[in-house]
Amino acid sequence: MQYRAGEEEQQAQSKKALKKQQKEAEKAAKKAEKQAKLAAEQQEADEDDFAKDRYGICPMVQSQQKLDRALVRVQDLTPEKAEQQIWVRARIHTSRAKGKQCFLVLRHQQFTVQALLAVGDRASKQMVKFAANLTKESIIDVEAVVKKVEQKIESCSQQDVELHVERIFVISQSEARLPLQLEDAVRPEGEGDEEGRATVNQDTRLDNRVIDLRTTTSQAIFRLQSGVCQLFRDTLINKGFVEIQTPKIISAASEGGANVFTVSYFKTSAYLAQSPQLYKQMCICADFDKVFCVGPVFRAEDSNTHRHLTEFVGLDIEMAFNYHYHEVIDSITDTMVQIFKGLRDRFQTEIQMVNKQYPSEPFKFLEPTLRLEYKEAVAMLKAAGVEMGDEEDLSTPNEKLLGRLVKDKYDTDFYVLDKYPLAVRPFYTMPDPNNPKYSNSYDMFMRGEEILSGAQRVHDAQLLTERAMHHGIDLEKIKAYIDSFRYGAPPHAGGGIGLERVTMLYLGLHNVRQTSMFPRDPKRLTP
Amino acid sequence: MPMYKVKPVSPADIKIDVPSCMYKSPNVHGHGMNCGEHALQNGEVDPSLKATVDGFAKTVTTPDADLDASTPSPGPAESVFKGTADLDSLLGKDLGALRDIVINANPARPPLSLLVLHALLCQRYQVLSSVHVHSSVSAVPPPLLSCLGPRHIDSYARQRFQLGFTLIWKDVSELQMKFSTQSMCPIEGEANVARFLFRLLGAEPQDPAAATQMDCWIDKAVFQLSEGGSKDRAAVLRSLNAALGRSPWLLGQEFSLADIVCACFVLRAGQTTSAPVNVQRWLKSCQNLGHFDCVYPFLQ
Repeated sequence: MQYRAGEEEQQAQSKKALKKQQKEAEKAAKKAEKQAKLAAEQQEADEDDFAKDRYGICPMVQSQQKLDRALVRVQDLTPEKAEQQIWVRARIHTSRAKGKQCFLVLRHQQFTVQALLAVGDRASKQMVKFAANLTKESIIDVEAVVKKVEQKIESCSQQDVELHVERIFVISQSEARLPLQLEDAVRPEGEGDEEGRATVNQDTRLDNRVIDLRTTTSQAIFRLQSGVCQLFRDTLINKGFVEIQTPKIISAASEGGANVFTVSYFKTSAYLAQSPQLYKQMCICADFDKVFCVGPVFRAEDSNTHRHLTEFVGLDIEMAFNYHYHEVIDSITDTMVQIFKGLRDRFQTEIQMVNKQYPSEPFKFLEPTLRLEYKEAVAMLKAAGVEMGDEEDLSTPNEKLLGRLVKDKYDTDFYVLDKYPLAVRPFYTMPDPNNPKYSNSYDMFMRGEEILSGAQRVHDAQLLTERAMHHGIDLEKIKAYIDSFRYGAPPHAGGGIGLERVTMLYLGLHNVRQTSMFPRDPKRLTP
Repeated sequence: MPMYKVKPVSPADIKIDVPSCMYKSPNVHGHGMNCGEHALQNGEVDPSLKATVDGFAKTVTTPDADLDASTPSPGPAESVFKGTADLDSLLGKDLGALRDIVINANPARPPLSLLVLHALLCQRYQVLSSVHVHSSVSAVPPPLLSCLGPRHIDSYARQRFQLGFTLIWKDVSELQMKFSTQSMCPIEGEANVARFLFRLLGAEPQDPAAATQMDCWIDKAVFQLSEGGSKDRAAVLRSLNAALGRSPWLLGQEFSLADIVCACFVLRAGQTTSAPVNVQRWLKSCQNLGHFDCVYPFLQ
């Protein structure tokens, strides 16, 4: 009967409710107990923590105060500073607790130093626990005494000293879970496979570039790249060159229509410059004689290779000469040699650091630079068994083979190949005066890969028009370019290199993305 | 209408060596030459030319010879070797590209005999000479950079030359020559490279006894003069003195590679003023030939 069922239900319900209540009560009791325990511990901790004000998490630095404190860099921590009490700001590279001690490795750029925090009269148990629990990559300020060590600390860059920590504060905390581990990121490939330890693949690195760039290898690569750029500028300025800036938004494709990015430009479209070629030449016609420019170059080439990027930094040179374009080749090769010498003499630390993860042969070159003619290259390749026509362009495998043959004979990783066949060069290349099948053009190679393509340019408007028509180029589109040669133009030649590719080949690396900070290729637009 | 016309740039006074003999065949009458039955060797010396060279050598060996070459001559000195050599068979067919001989030498020990041979090669062939410094060496004293003479005005057109001579100053323990890396292994040691280059001049002694003697003198220079102790050096100087007492040059009447190598090694060892009489006279004769001018800047 309904009445009774309801009653039973009610009873059942109240039973359930009772059980539920009981359970909740138990839970609450347990929780309260735990909290009480924690509170008790905390109190205990607080009571015993005499070092309370010597560690902690600093409030976010919002420029609240201007401290006159000098922070010593990790790389300056040497035995000369022994017994000095100094402040250091660095990242936590690793932290490891061992009983009453905590070993920290602090890192700043490529330099690491060991730091020690031990329970004693300066540090409490809670302080050591705090230090051991700090997340990797957090930025901390540490006040410590520099101590000389008996045995060299092999695993750190600063091997002769360690820090005995007095105070430790967190300036910026890192999240606990890192998308990649730095020690994995610097592990050489082979080692990873052998010992079953992880290495980080390229896509992960590029997706988390900010962390990947913190590794010693990346720091070294990009410092060296900065050196390349600086040596390029310094050498050319000393040779009397003028640095120019050329526009990157242009009205017509300079190298050819296929590989150019289009941008919308108000009511019409424009293109992103594939090279500063046309503007360099116009500067020569404007009497600047010797110019160079450093700037981005955009190539919409759908090549997913180890050496192509859609955006890279171009280092371009253009120079008027007196009688022979070899004057320009000599200038360019001398600039390259000065760059190589500068890197060899001043960046050995960086080179060694990169070699630890990516071993390679040191880069060799000759001074003056070796210059071979295209015919010699064809003869060398034919002697090595390659079948090719005398006027055929060099394929990439042939270029690599040629690089090896040249290395065998002359022991150089850098050389110039002169007098290319005319048919394989752009329309503005000056033909050879004695043989119409060849041209006054040249390529330069590093470790068997092309880094520069250059030539004497046609500086005569009429010949230029003929050559453009021969190549089927729409004259209307390059009218402004041809016009610049109509009012007296000096004979000139030049060429350009890619900063990333040169760095990659100098260090013997295998992928240009390693030498581009935030690389762009057909599949990658971020970071 | 060609855009550029290039005027011929070859100098008017270039010596062209026209052989006096169109076809050579072995001397079937077996006169004189022991190797008359051997297959025709390139560079076999024509007897009439041999006499010319002998006569020439005689005029040179007398101290007050009419040919006074002690003042530096503005143009190339008279070529001592008039034999012919077939570069194609010695170096491989000319595929329209420069045949480049590459020599890697340590700047601490300049190969003097090779400099002399280079000068001799330049008289016989169109040689494109270049000097490079390898990146393994940080700096090289300027005389070493110009040791092959001034840069040829035509050096921008490599294929106009018959032979390339590329000297690279490099941090090597042993001098090394490379030519065709596909078909030739590198040649090591100054003496061995000297032998190779001498063959290009086509002036090797055809008589096996003479050839052996030449090799013997070269080995003496390398192992005893250069690498031996002071006793060895003294012994070599004595045997040089003895040999040179009998004839003007080490192999007799003809100037040869033995004289080039030994003279260079003696000069490099130094103390030539205290050398025996005949040796000093012989060194003076070498100097008079003019080919050794390139060597003197490198002697202390």
